[in-house]
Amino acid sequence: MKISVQQLDDLALGAVFLATGGGGDPYVPLQLAKQALRTYGDVTLLNPENLQDDARVITLGGVGAPTVSLELLPSLTEASATLQAWQKHTGETVDAVAAFEIGGANSLLPLIAAATSGTAIVDGDGMGRALPEAQMMSYAIEGVSPSPAVAYDYQGNVTSFSTKDTATYERHIRALTVASGGMLTTAEHPMTGKQLKRAIIPGTLSFAIQLGQLLKQHKGNAEQILPALQELFETSLYGTCRLLSCGKIIDKSTQIVGGYDLGQASIMDFSDTNREIKISIKNEYLLAREGDKVLASVPDLIVIVDYETVQPINAERLRYGQRVAVFAVACPAFFRSEKALAAVSPRCFGFDFDYVPLEEIPT
Amino acid sequence: MRIGIDVGGTHTDAVLMQGEQLLAATKALTSQDVLSGIIQALRQVIQDAAISATQIQSVMIGTTQFTNAVVERRELAPTAIIRMSSPSGEGLPPGCDWPTDLVGAMQLKTYQVNGGYLYDGWPLSPLNQEEIHKVIADIRVSGIKNIAVASAFSPMNPEPEFQVEKLLKTQIPDANITLSHKMGKLGILERENAAALNVALLPFAHKVVSAMLQAIHNEGLNCPMFISQNDGTLMNAQFITQYPALTFSSGPTNSLRGASKLTGLKDAIVVDIGGTTSDIGILQDGFPRESNIVISVGGVRTNFRMPDIQAVGLGGGSIVQDDGLRIGPQSTGHNLVKEALIFGGSTLTATDIIVASGKADIGNARFLQHLSQNTIKNARNTMHALLDQHIDMMKPSSKPVPVILVGGGAILVQDDLPSASQIIRPENAAVANAIGASIAQVGGEAEAMLNYRQMSREAAIAQVESQAINNAVAAGANADSLKLADIEETNIPYMDDGNIKVRVKVIGDIVFASDKGA
Repeated sequence: MKISVQQLDDLALGAVFLATGGGGDPYVPLQLAKQALRTYGDVTLLNPENLQDDARVITLGGVGAPTVSLELLPSLTEASATLQAWQKHTGETVDAVAAFEIGGANSLLPLIAAATSGTAIVDGDGMGRALPEAQMMSYAIEGVSPSPAVAYDYQGNVTSFSTKDTATYERHIRALTVASGGMLTTAEHPMTGKQLKRAIIPGTLSFAIQLGQLLKQHKGNAEQILPALQELFETSLYGTCRLLSCGKIIDKSTQIVGGYDLGQASIMDFSDTNREIKISIKNEYLLAREGDKVLASVPDLIVIVDYETVQPINAERLRYGQRVAVFAVACPAFFRSEKALAAVSPRCFGFDFDYVPLEEIPT
Repeated sequence: MRIGIDVGGTHTDAVLMQGEQLLAATKALTSQDVLSGIIQALRQVIQDAAISATQIQSVMIGTTQFTNAVVERRELAPTAIIRMSSPSGEGLPPGCDWPTDLVGAMQLKTYQVNGGYLYDGWPLSPLNQEEIHKVIADIRVSGIKNIAVASAFSPMNPEPEFQVEKLLKTQIPDANITLSHKMGKLGILERENAAALNVALLPFAHKVVSAMLQAIHNEGLNCPMFISQNDGTLMNAQFITQYPALTFSSGPTNSLRGASKLTGLKDAIVVDIGGTTSDIGILQDGFPRESNIVISVGGVRTNFRMPDIQAVGLGGGSIVQDDGLRIGPQSTGHNLVKEALIFGGSTLTATDIIVASGKADIGNARFLQHLSQNTIKNARNTMHALLDQHIDMMKPSSKPVPVILVGGGAILVQDDLPSASQIIRPENAAVANAIGASIAQVGGEAEAMLNYRQMSREAAIAQVESQAINNAVAAGANADSLKLADIEETNIPYMDDGNIKVRVKVIGDIVFASDKGA
């Protein structure tokens, strides 16, 4: 299977839906990805199952502050240069690249690398959504070492890492980002085909394209699209898809605390004005509550869309008065194991309760 | 006394104001050459108020000519863009996402060179003299005289833009240059787009402004002229010849400001109901609330200061369907006077419904006798629900807010709007835009990325404020009258917590020639 330039708008749209409010505006990376595919042609999309056990795969993406990338623009060659720097550093050649996260702009960077360097891309990612930290990736949870890793800055400076674990790597890479002008591209968490098959959330790239297509082509509001969305999610590695509420944002406040956008949004239901849903935000939408009752929580996906057009709304764009719909989608089964929940459960985000899978929560 | 003029696509309106008092108002059709319509409106109000032209202290004009030039791809000079941010952004040249007809109309030539700064003040890459000289030589050979210059993080450190401006002026002495940091906020793509559209309009701006000044002089007025800009404040004639792009959305802004003046309200929602759409905007402390999203002008992403306007497809000419359950967005537009039932046409419009309800006496109500009470009732409910819903979306908070209705379609609202604490229909609502233009205040804005660990928050804000004050004085403000209008602080996620984007806006009274002399 191939990914062509005609599918990129759909991919970006699907990726913003799966970003659950985080991930940033994909406008600039989308322009670069279009140029890359126009210049270098389609990119081969590999089903992870078809990878040789001894194949070499590297994961690739951007680390930094979206606000900085408004001025320090990415370059067309940055992603592929990062890949080359990693190959030079390790003396190995990779057979394919894979994404950190399918949610938001990081779904497009590995695609640019693959196109410009003529490499294949693996259909899948390390999150199935967007999450804020490296140790929350399925690769790290499965025990894949973050290094050898390289970070590449806009000037072509290369820093290599030999780091014990992903939590430490996360701290180091953040510090380097600050010293490098605020944005870096990294190649990290190298894997063999055998490791990758166990550690990747498979099929999410092609799924994001399908999802984007559905969102673009479907005419009608959030309630009307629900059956089609449910069919798509329930026949994928996600699962249950629920429409939690259709209503109006009656309050939204966020502050930046410890490098995160932290806050809450309240939604008053259209059909029952006494019903109020509260969404907790930490870069992404992490928790939906009605009074004390949890309706959905991380690692399951909570997505807020415009009620009329079903276009996903990023957390930084959410504001008072918008008429929205809140969807919840079961996360891939991978994130429900004890090992994964130790990295991504509500408690890892500072909430004082245990994770209950979406489909086990009574409606 | 002062005159406010609003030059719209169809109408040129003028008002003559003495302090808060409206002495005369006129509404004329916009002339083909624009100017003769302005002169006619000027003469009319002076004559109606029975005063001498020499008593006028200033003329304030709101105009859509520059927006229309971009949208219609005319009066645009051949333009070059120099961006200093290499090696970042390679493969993403200036103009790469522009509509091709605009690139053609501006004969756009673009260059990417080294230079610019990082967010923390560290150089992104050093300026390369040889590289810059080659670019300038190429522009000189091409004969392009209008040049936009942008460098990374120039709102924080504009030095590279100044350096290139200096070199350009020596090599191409008659060049028009717009530096991107003068056009505002962070976001280099949007900022360089704004600078490019602005610089392309400079020859046209010189033409328009000198014609306007000449006309005012010929009419015997011996006073300064101001033009209203996007944020509702004014700039002097000299300033607009440098920054015509800052007028791009002055139309809706003037309608909002005029509504504030007509009602005395500082915090309200203004609904301007026309023939096809209702434009809903927010007044906060007497000024329009600005939009946070990227605004496209003629198909180009920009970061202009624009009022946050929600357009709803409901106006006097909106077509009523499904027994009144569906209204608009299709409209008879300016054909309302032919197609609506009350004018003997065959299309049921929103205006017909209001006439059928007995709430307005327009056209011939006998043509409406066949309408069922059910359709009339449904249609009224549909209109009000549609407006109410969108007004509610625009509200800054859940607190009740008064709603000011202006525009010819304001008669559509006859019932209660639950989202409004009260509904106000000011007198002279038809010339709200010209009144908005006549309000004599100017503003200045500045923005920088600073670190509160390197300097105290107070010192940081003071630094940005002094830049905003300089900008306001340059725009014609009396320095003593300036007051702080807004401080906005934004942290940058993932970065050191001390890094803050600080934006400050100050507003003050205009210096009139008579003040200076006395």
